[in-house]
Amino acid sequence: MPTPVRGPIPARAGIGLRSQHHEAILQTASPPAWLEVHTENYFHAGGPAVHALERARSRYPLSLHGVGLGLGSADPIDRDHLERVRDAVQRFEPGLVSEHACWGHVDGEHFNDLLPLPYTEEAVEHLAARVREVQDFLGRQILVENLSAYVSFASSQLSEGEFLAAVVERSGCGLLLDVNNAYVNAANLGLDLDAFFAALPRHAIQEIHLAGHSRRRVGSRELLIDDHGSAVCDDVWALYEVALRRFGRVPTLIEWDTDVPPLATLLAEAARADQRLERCHAAAA
Amino acid sequence: MRRRPDSALDLKALQTAFGRSMRPATANTADLQLLAGSDDATVVGQRLEVYRNNAWQSFLSALERSYPVIQRRVGTDFFRQLARDYRVQHPSQHGDLHWIGEAFPAWLTDRMQGTGYAWLADLARLEWACETSVAAARRDPVGLDSLGRFDADVLPQLTLVLQPSLRLVASPFPIWSVWQANQHEDAVAPFDLAAGAEHCAVACIADRVAVYRLHAADHRLLQHLHAGMSLGDATEAAAPDAETLGRLLGRLLGWAFGAGLVVQVVKASPA
Repeated sequence: MPTPVRGPIPARAGIGLRSQHHEAILQTASPPAWLEVHTENYFHAGGPAVHALERARSRYPLSLHGVGLGLGSADPIDRDHLERVRDAVQRFEPGLVSEHACWGHVDGEHFNDLLPLPYTEEAVEHLAARVREVQDFLGRQILVENLSAYVSFASSQLSEGEFLAAVVERSGCGLLLDVNNAYVNAANLGLDLDAFFAALPRHAIQEIHLAGHSRRRVGSRELLIDDHGSAVCDDVWALYEVALRRFGRVPTLIEWDTDVPPLATLLAEAARADQRLERCHAAAA
Repeated sequence: MRRRPDSALDLKALQTAFGRSMRPATANTADLQLLAGSDDATVVGQRLEVYRNNAWQSFLSALERSYPVIQRRVGTDFFRQLARDYRVQHPSQHGDLHWIGEAFPAWLTDRMQGTGYAWLADLARLEWACETSVAAARRDPVGLDSLGRFDADVLPQLTLVLQPSLRLVASPFPIWSVWQANQHEDAVAPFDLAAGAEHCAVACIADRVAVYRLHAADHRLLQHLHAGMSLGDATEAAAPDAETLGRLLGRLLGWAFGAGLVVQVVKASPA
């Protein structure tokens, strides 16, 4: 494998690398500052995807973003899956490793989706213990991402921000703040965005995600669907600026996973994020 | 924010109820009421449909990626029906979507038994072989000249280490021909389902899957070599007489080395 770019992920804009762009990312004249991939897509010993990432890794800092571990599942963690995460971490030496504040399997069935947790004391303890287990196994800190959700649970006792802050406090993990997810939750579930941001520990925010969403009528009302299939909307850009003012310059990722556009479109979105990161830097100077 | 500690639902119980609500066969009003608490269970049920749809689409997409030729042969609608039925018996067992299609060939064998579509199960075996071959490690191949390092009298004692991506599939149906005929997006080449048995080798060379059609005897010999038998033992087991043995071995070795399938030649230790 070519020598990977080591060191921290820069506080600039990166893009999610998808298979459609494996070759183009090596040839672009205006490369993004860093790349993120879904860990599970690079579990294999060989194949074109793995070899493409090895080539890209020699040019770009990398973040590994897991979507299949289901950290908050009440059933035992899938050790085989965790070992594959560890193998990928050892192979690709990413600057950041992240997972989600979600669950994904119960009674032997995996739903291959990011399912919401109730914001209870029990769930805090459980998720924090799982995060510690993963961090111990990997020998490094991980980031946990806030989820977009379509239901909330009557059993919740904490706000989403309080829940995440408690998980950080009890596990020592960092946070990946998905601004689009927060926006979606505000629209779908009435999340108080000011209170949400205020509850998050500033020091823990080590990465931000930006993505597009769609709208779908469900029952009698319209829901925002976090489908990562379009450009970041103006409201989310505005919320991103609020986040930057509060949390400072943070590595920011453009996520686009469905209806993946040409690389140039992703790079243009990354440039918009970079402009805001620069403004944030200038304002802080 | 709600603070109703008295209504706190055990995490495992909540996920079990949520899980049951994700499956059409097990969804029930009591679970919805449990999840919703004093909220409107109808609304919660409608919103869970977003998750049901996500899970279904993830499952279907993974199966489509693994079995593009099957999908093409049976059509989109019937493939979806197969996927639905398969999911009932084989829900996803992994957080990694790649494995969703692992049991599909065996399931298709049962499903298509007694119909005119039994060949679909063998075609599925070939497609799954392609899927796992791509994911296998790749090793640098050695050339035919690597045999020259050994004296002629020890050749029968040599074993060949083959590419980790090598897969062997045999069928009484012409699965190679069907697979090959469906590799171009624009048109399906003609194929004859009555053409008889075909024997296939699959390997991923230079990040591309190659599917070869072999003579039955070559396939048999390659199976023995793949299982770790020495050249002498493998040819003895695969060929009925010495005359065909030499021809068979020469043909197979020339092809296997030429295709980059051999990664090491090892002299077996005397027992």
